[in-house]
Amino acid sequence: MKKVLIVDDAAFMRLTIRSILEKNGFEIVGEAENGEKGVQKYKELKPDLVTMDITMPEMTGIEALKHIKEYDPNAKVVMFSAMGQELMVREAIINGAKSFIVKPFTEDHVMQVLNKILII
Amino acid sequence: MADLVEDIMEMEEDTQKGRFLTFSLGKESYGIEIKYVTEIIGIQAITEIPELPEYVKGIINLRGKIIPVMDVRLRFKKEPREYNDRTCVVVIDIKDISIGLIVDTVSEVLTIPENSIVEPPKMNKGFNNRYIKNIGKVGNDVKLLLDCEKLLTENELEDLSEAM
Amino acid sequence: MSVQYTNEPMLDMLIFETTQLIEQLEQSILNSEKSSCYTEDAINEIFRIMHTIKGSSAMMMFNNISTLAHSMEDLFYFLREEKPSNVDCSTLSDLLLEGVDFIKLEVEKLKNGDNADGDAAALIDRINKFLSVLRQGNNSTVSTKEIKVGQIDTKKQQYYISQSKVEASTYNNAYKAIIYFEDGCGMENIRAYSVIHNLKDFTDQIFYLPDDIIDNDECIEAIRNGGFKVYLKTDCSYEEMHKIFMQTIFLKNLELIQLENDDELKQFLEEKEFTDQEYFNKAPCQHAIYKEAKEYTDKELHSPPTQQSMISVSVSKLDKLMDLVGEMVIAEAMVIQNPDLKDLELDNFQKAARQLNKITDEMQDMVMSIRMVPLSATFHKMHRVVRDMCKKLGKEVELKIFGEETEVDKNIIEHISDPLMHLVRNAIDHGIEPHEDRLAKGKSQAGIITLEAKNAGSEVQVIVKDDGKGLSKEGILKKAKENGVLYKSQEDMTDREIFNLIFLPGFSTKDSITEFSGRGVGMDVVTKNIETIGGSVSVDSVPEKGTIIMLKIPLTLAIIDGMNIRVGKSRYTIPTISIKESFRPNEGDIITDPDGNEMIMVRGQCYPILRLHEIYRVKTGITNFVDGIIIMVEQDGKSTCIFADELLGQQQVVVKSLPEYIKNYKKIGGLAGCTLLGDGSISLILDVGGLINI
Repeated sequence: MKKVLIVDDAAFMRLTIRSILEKNGFEIVGEAENGEKGVQKYKELKPDLVTMDITMPEMTGIEALKHIKEYDPNAKVVMFSAMGQELMVREAIINGAKSFIVKPFTEDHVMQVLNKILII
Repeated sequence: MADLVEDIMEMEEDTQKGRFLTFSLGKESYGIEIKYVTEIIGIQAITEIPELPEYVKGIINLRGKIIPVMDVRLRFKKEPREYNDRTCVVVIDIKDISIGLIVDTVSEVLTIPENSIVEPPKMNKGFNNRYIKNIGKVGNDVKLLLDCEKLLTENELEDLSEAM
Repeated sequence: MSVQYTNEPMLDMLIFETTQLIEQLEQSILNSEKSSCYTEDAINEIFRIMHTIKGSSAMMMFNNISTLAHSMEDLFYFLREEKPSNVDCSTLSDLLLEGVDFIKLEVEKLKNGDNADGDAAALIDRINKFLSVLRQGNNSTVSTKEIKVGQIDTKKQQYYISQSKVEASTYNNAYKAIIYFEDGCGMENIRAYSVIHNLKDFTDQIFYLPDDIIDNDECIEAIRNGGFKVYLKTDCSYEEMHKIFMQTIFLKNLELIQLENDDELKQFLEEKEFTDQEYFNKAPCQHAIYKEAKEYTDKELHSPPTQQSMISVSVSKLDKLMDLVGEMVIAEAMVIQNPDLKDLELDNFQKAARQLNKITDEMQDMVMSIRMVPLSATFHKMHRVVRDMCKKLGKEVELKIFGEETEVDKNIIEHISDPLMHLVRNAIDHGIEPHEDRLAKGKSQAGIITLEAKNAGSEVQVIVKDDGKGLSKEGILKKAKENGVLYKSQEDMTDREIFNLIFLPGFSTKDSITEFSGRGVGMDVVTKNIETIGGSVSVDSVPEKGTIIMLKIPLTLAIIDGMNIRVGKSRYTIPTISIKESFRPNEGDIITDPDGNEMIMVRGQCYPILRLHEIYRVKTGITNFVDGIIIMVEQDGKSTCIFADELLGQQQVVVKSLPEYIKNYKKIGGLAGCTLLGDGSISLILDVGGLINI
């Protein structure tokens, strides 16, 4: 089972993402509610995949992405963003995010992105 | 997933449809839709509560849950009768309200097909007529099918009229 | 569709989290308003909250909430980025609070299982207008435009590959690819960008159309309709290129063609030149593209309280747990006091029973402590009440809060919020004077309302104090007489008794009702609410110094120490806390007045006697006072004597409310609920306050 770390400051989003992933046979090894904890958990748990929100307190998703990539250049990070965050998403792509998902998302979208990233 | 639950619900409703628990009060035989009935128990020690209408006998302890009991005889303004070992409490659950109905005795569970159920004749007098939703015919017998919701809610109306 | 997420736990979580965020938001707004400016931290916080609410509510398709949140997010994005100096703080707060109220109401609807069907269009419109006024006043349109054009230029340089390079190409293969993305995947332009980004590892000669994929919203449409066209030169084989393109996420369709020569590429570049020209003639697309351009790195600590070591549990589960523990306590009593064990020598059993008892006691305490919640949230809600009232009435009031950390049972919190709000409104409306009056009296211009909570034994005292004009005894008496609630002659009444008249039902009349404190109900509603949770209300007042209202509320509703008594076959439980003493009366101490009222003399004081068997019409053989027992009870300084057959003993009882059906029928005087005794029988819990007033 693929191990996933969910980083999002909204508990609702974490729950939503978790339920989609669990339904589709992923194992959620951890959750973090800000970038800083996300980085820390990444090092601790070494997940196969990270879902990363962009707007978070303490440390934004972009910063967290940079830290994770620095630690593990092969890390697979998918950004979760909202409309209007185009530039931040672009920055995430430059910094090595594998892809991104725009909120509000559907289960189908999430699974397409994640499955594809895992086979690349 | 929600669909599935709904399906099951529907199925349950289907199997319950047209099924009635019948009980008797004196000569008459009554029926309650089985979907409302949660269990049938013997008569229990009843704790009386003051200031309630006569037909609300009080409360009983149903395995830690406290529920009110109503004497259906008194509800229909019939003569009271001593409780005995045939007296039963039919516990029904309507809109999250549980209540026990005290009846003379419980008879059986019957399936009454839709075409054997007719509306009660319109009668102005006969106070208990308004709690009878339908009349079911089973062979030569007649079962008075109760409107449980009215049984529980009508007293509020009475209160209002009494207060006026 | 997102409908698939509308299952219960998601909705619960959305409601829970949004409620928390909204409270946090409201607090932040009120604080900002107080200091009459929105600090950078506050702006960041509000922006983030709106962003989260927008995202979550959009997931659940609550579009009215998400669009409103979006408009507020836009507004705060502007505030954060442009730091305009011309912000009308007061209007901003009003708009925000209106938004807060709207979302609160919608969430409330969701909580009740209704549809969130409110329409925020008018409010959104006003927020947008407010924003556009800010924009004009700040001259920002011009400056951002300049910045944008500048940025576009630099980007051109960054990604635009000069034609000369094509001439100097050393790559062997040329390809043309048209990429179509899945419908609804969102941000097609950025997806296109990431395709280009990935290709950079294989070539430095890439050209694409549309080429302004980052800067122009409109290109999203173009990509959706016509696909994203890429020309590139590389050494990679067709298969390799195909594989690379196929990795594109949300790829719906790919057309990949190997080009024989550079003709088409050249033609494409000319075309591109042309569209570039056209592009610069067009006004740059204004819209929200530069959002989030800067990432922010604020380090404030107002993040939602989601600590790892905490879990949130639904209250209904806690209620169930409480019930179970209650039943266990009863079951324990049934075992230990089992009649079968009577007269048996059971040393080991007793020892084990004591151990069991210790554990159940601890469990009870633990379950109770889980349910305890500090009053702070309830208290802080009052800031908003004060603010709104002051604004409408043109008064100035400072709210002081003490002891907000005091904890009470979750169920109780829910019951005191409304009464508290009512009391605070009343204090501002009727208590605190307009500031000119206050200055004339030598008081501070701003009135002071103090909210205080403290523990006192097994109850909590909540005090609402104002430094206003105080209650007028004459006014109260006059009104009490007019409304026929004066129960004894005014000469016999103490000041306290007179003040307490205001809590009687029927005291408040229409002409004393204002928009806020009235709402068609009087202080009796406060009393009623507090009494339903077994508490009491009292008032004291000094003219020109102010009024103090004290709510005494039990720590918990769930378990009380009670004395079980018997009347005939019925059992009753009296809360031990209200029992002063119990005794067998002497015949000689009983007095009957000409009206047949029975009283008893105790140490020179005369107390009325309540025959429980009479008021509750219970059959009993014991009707002579000397055969039974008298229990003297007291609440709020009033005492009465209850006459019963006998005392059965003291024990902790789990309070259960009477069944809904009976409660719906009527509120029965003097009964607070019921409980199960060790033998499985039911005992009715007496409400002493209610009995005294019978």
